[in-house]
Amino acid sequence: MVPPATSVESPRSTVVAVPLTTVPVGAVAKLHEVTDVDSRPVLRSLGLTDDCVLRLCQVGDPCIVQVKSTRIGLSNAVARCLYVVPEAGNR
Amino acid sequence: MVPAVETLDRAPSSSAAPVRRIALIGNPNTGKTTLFNALCGVRAKTSNFPGTTTAMRTGHAEAPGHVTLDVLDLPGVYDLEIDAPESRIAAALLEGARGPAPDAVVVIVDACNLARNLVLVGQLLVRRVRMVVALNMVDLAERRGLSIDAPALEARLGVPVVPMVARTGRGLPALREALERVHPGGPGSGAEAPAAAAVSRWADEAAAVVSSETASAHAHDRFTERLDGVLTHPVFGLAAFIAIMGTLFWILFALATVPMDLIEATFAEMGTLVERLLPEGPVRDLVAQGIVGGIAGTVVFLPQICLLFFLITLLEDTGYLARAAFVMDRWLSRFGLPGHAFVPLLTAHACALPGIMSTRLIPDLRDRLTTILVAPFMSCSARLPVYVLLTTLLFADRPGLAGLAFAGCYLLGALAALFTAKLFGSTILKGRAKPMILELPSYKTPSLRNALLTARDQGLSFLSTAGTVIVAICIVMWWLSAYPKVDAPPEAARLRAAAEAPALPNDQAAALLAEADALEVKTAQAGSFAGRIGHTLAPAFEPLGFDWQLTVGVLTSFLAREVFVSTMSVLAAGQAATDVDEGVVAKIRAMTRDDGRPVFTPATAASALVFFVLAMQCLPTLTVTRKETGGLKYAALQLGYMSGLAYAAAFVLYQSLRAAGVA
Repeated sequence: MVPPATSVESPRSTVVAVPLTTVPVGAVAKLHEVTDVDSRPVLRSLGLTDDCVLRLCQVGDPCIVQVKSTRIGLSNAVARCLYVVPEAGNR
Repeated sequence: MVPAVETLDRAPSSSAAPVRRIALIGNPNTGKTTLFNALCGVRAKTSNFPGTTTAMRTGHAEAPGHVTLDVLDLPGVYDLEIDAPESRIAAALLEGARGPAPDAVVVIVDACNLARNLVLVGQLLVRRVRMVVALNMVDLAERRGLSIDAPALEARLGVPVVPMVARTGRGLPALREALERVHPGGPGSGAEAPAAAAVSRWADEAAAVVSSETASAHAHDRFTERLDGVLTHPVFGLAAFIAIMGTLFWILFALATVPMDLIEATFAEMGTLVERLLPEGPVRDLVAQGIVGGIAGTVVFLPQICLLFFLITLLEDTGYLARAAFVMDRWLSRFGLPGHAFVPLLTAHACALPGIMSTRLIPDLRDRLTTILVAPFMSCSARLPVYVLLTTLLFADRPGLAGLAFAGCYLLGALAALFTAKLFGSTILKGRAKPMILELPSYKTPSLRNALLTARDQGLSFLSTAGTVIVAICIVMWWLSAYPKVDAPPEAARLRAAAEAPALPNDQAAALLAEADALEVKTAQAGSFAGRIGHTLAPAFEPLGFDWQLTVGVLTSFLAREVFVSTMSVLAAGQAATDVDEGVVAKIRAMTRDDGRPVFTPATAASALVFFVLAMQCLPTLTVTRKETGGLKYAALQLGYMSGLAYAAAFVLYQSLRAAGVA
């Protein structure tokens, strides 16, 4: 089941945060929220902190994201708990 | 800025050389072990952190001014604050809760991942730990166009920063000098420590100021990306995995055989030499067969263990091992096993001992325990002669079917492992299987020196812990098989007398003597403690179709599975054989029970085959399980579960075949 998109209030406009699993490969996005509380500390220690900019390098289960120079493999169970706001200009 | 110089000399030893306790800490994949090896070389040993099963390495190094460094390699940690075993161990050691606190810490920082690595530096600054930052892999950073202003970073942190390449030794003398000069006032005398709650932001800012690295996710390493496109691809990645692991497996099988044969031959020679030098009697038997045989039975595992860790370290250093775990996670996670489990499971096909030892790669304790418990189901090389013997007995003139049965044994073992992992995951090791979150490190050229030192360390660790217990077990098993001594049967004496008849041709005399030898050995085996236990326990194995002779074979092979072939050949012909040639098979096929019926019917051979695929017939494996899990509980569970499953499966098969009229 695909997790739902969630509305996020931002100073400029209302943007929509979507699960990482719904973002196309190559997309750059800002991390909005991690709904899996258990995984949050480990993700944070790898650089996946609030508002960090990430790039989706490979889709599927597992997928690969890149934060700065760190590439991280994530199983689908984790990726669908990462809600991101895609940046404008993504393919 | 170089901080103020003040020495940290602890109470000098009797030789008056100042000793300092240094801990190495850093994120995983930052070259921490490579730096440890570069500093300490062969003066290192592997053990476990007190009260844990996490491996700990300690060693000694020299610093300028005749200072001796006691170096402790802490487990790789991303964050000291998260609730993970490695983080708890590292934090406790830094606080002095597990022995004396280190005088200073070397934080290894990956120059290619500066911002993320500085989080750990920030946390150490908050704890006011004395430290030197080793800015490692600056060569890789330079190749990627990242430039880091080390003096500016030093000024910002208030602690020495040494740019270096641990793999080649670049920067090592400067690090040693910095360790001599590290100031005792801690970071307080340098820059301000970040606020504990804002370490991550502080690290980002520090990295942005001192390096050309941008915060953009768009900045990426094209080489890594291209290679990952193949090695982590669902199809090509799997093909690459099979090719690479197949090569590793082949090397392990092919190359380890040479030193293993050499070790066996050397110890056999030593046993013969002892028998020549010592007078006949129990002391000679103990030394030649018990002690020399026991040590041989332990040392023979060394080539596989050392070679495996050498190859794994090379693969880990290149960055491929993380990709392999990534690829396999898709498949293994369905059975509650992590992607990392593929190395132990694959290695267990050669031998369960190095397989279980290599579970140290698995970060999560629950995942690691599950893998340890199921690894011995994989068909190891010791099962090969047993499979060859029993499949040949089962399908005498049908080599095609024998080959299929042989392959079926491997499949049955692997399926039993996966089924058991799933079962344990929902029962005794219940809990949510950790979904994969795995850093994929940069690809690097591996260090041969690093791999050699790691292989040496793991080999010594095996000998000093599990090895000693295995030698003791070997001696006990030998004693059970050799004592009490029983008188030779009258028939043997009659044969010997007949062989001495002057008119008898030499070949006939030799045949009679061989027959006498066989009879004596068979009588000795039957009269030994192992033989008597076999007789006593035979009723328990009767529902599987086993008679007392097969029961003795099962019991003696508890030391090592391949002993089954030699035991059966002794019982059949009085001559121990480890190779399954036609003569041995023919003699074993001709074995009869006390009532004259054959020992091996098709149903019995099939039942024994299934039993040997599934049973925990290996005491050395149990010893290593006990050591790696930190107690007897899981070793006992492994023995009970595997033996129970083997018995039940063999029982069902034998009784079904009998009911179908096959027996």
